[in-house]
Amino acid sequence: MARILITLPPLVGHLNPALAVAEALTAHGHTLAWAVHARQIGHALPKDARIYKLDSGTSAPDIAIPSARGLESVRLFFEDYTFPMARAALHPLEEAARHFRPDVVMVDHQMPAGALVARKLGLPFVSLVTTTASIQLASPTIDAWVAEQFAGLQRGYLPDHMITLRPDISPYLAIVFSIQMLAGQARALLDAPYLFVGPALAQFRRQVDFPWGWLDHEQRLILVTLGTISRDSNTRFFEIMMEALGAFTGIQAVMVAPASLAPHAPKNVMVRQMVPQLKLLDWAAAVICHAGHNTVCEALTRGLPLIVSPIRDDQPVIARQVIDAGAGLFMRHGKVTVPTARAAIEKLLQTPSLAARARTLGEALRAAPGAAGAASAIASLAAGGQRAA
Amino acid sequence: MITPDDQILASLVETIRRTINEDWIEDFPITRETRFHDDLELESIEFVKIADAIQARFGKTIDIAGFLSGRSIQDLIALSVGDLADFIAAGA
Repeated sequence: MARILITLPPLVGHLNPALAVAEALTAHGHTLAWAVHARQIGHALPKDARIYKLDSGTSAPDIAIPSARGLESVRLFFEDYTFPMARAALHPLEEAARHFRPDVVMVDHQMPAGALVARKLGLPFVSLVTTTASIQLASPTIDAWVAEQFAGLQRGYLPDHMITLRPDISPYLAIVFSIQMLAGQARALLDAPYLFVGPALAQFRRQVDFPWGWLDHEQRLILVTLGTISRDSNTRFFEIMMEALGAFTGIQAVMVAPASLAPHAPKNVMVRQMVPQLKLLDWAAAVICHAGHNTVCEALTRGLPLIVSPIRDDQPVIARQVIDAGAGLFMRHGKVTVPTARAAIEKLLQTPSLAARARTLGEALRAAPGAAGAASAIASLAAGGQRAA
Repeated sequence: MITPDDQILASLVETIRRTINEDWIEDFPITRETRFHDDLELESIEFVKIADAIQARFGKTIDIAGFLSGRSIQDLIALSVGDLADFIAAGA
């Protein structure tokens, strides 16, 4: 049985897939340890989890959500969050690895310190790619900037001969929580030994009440969400959606939005601050969202077409994947008007090809090997079954 | 008096409106200072379409790809209609 050290940033979207894979590994008798910011995510780990703290004695990294959008938000996320956190985590992570002596390190792609430590100590490591935006090649300017960020991180920690263009992605195995049909069609990917496993089931979900009696099963349900982490104080988008949706008959919508909007909602729109998203998606006919990687995969797994209205981070890239795959329509988040929104919603519900493509993607997502497939590949790497490419 | 530079700017603005092709852009003021990223929320694929249309309109002397690849990520984020118009004017 193998010893596996897991490290990831303290962000829920990254935690859920890691938890699912960890559960499958534990079920097979492997011994796990977590090197994480325990103050932020320690409570979400299994009760008996062995934890190496990355935040003892230091202040937790700042995860304040910047109001920046688009490419600027990506720049800030890298320069102000990911890379400072990586620098601070290098030494505690190296100590953890030396102490735990893992056979394999399982590293979230946005915790590059884990990859650097594994490279330095000569340990095989697996990358967990929780958003495919980070393995798609972008434009020369953006790719050069990313490479420069990684070069800066490696200098002073790794010997010169170990410095590589993208140290974050494993030369042994890169587990991608998506499918090739969605991520690898329109754009070139970085060269790496990928295993596309589809979405891993979310493990850490709070129980959320919902007035199920409100749903009229004669009507089609649309879920409107900009995710939890991206929720803006700016309510313009939601107000436009409410007005656009209010004009439809035969449609109900549940909108994940600030409660202050509830009194202004038309009678076919319910505003809730939190919803049981997976259960609602089981009822839904379509989704309007920010193109967060998780929401997109959850919707497509159920064969639901989407309107994608990306704001920041990886969302523009994921939105483009959905559109290129033929399962979604674009909506410009900060500019959309009521007539444009109405036209898009009509098109969403009345274009058979969108639903057909979504169903095809859904079949592929459901057929993907998931967390169990990821766990077997990791176990095989730990057993020495694979070498660095 | 309408200068060649004005004509380039006007042509660029017209191309932007046609490419975005949504109701709000009809009345949206587009000036030299308008930024593609923050002010227009332009998708990268739309920028490529605009660039292609400009290439077709002004000929092969406009190396849009070269123009973009020489810039930093900050410049890319702050890129304005005027920046692109100046580049076209310099090459036209």
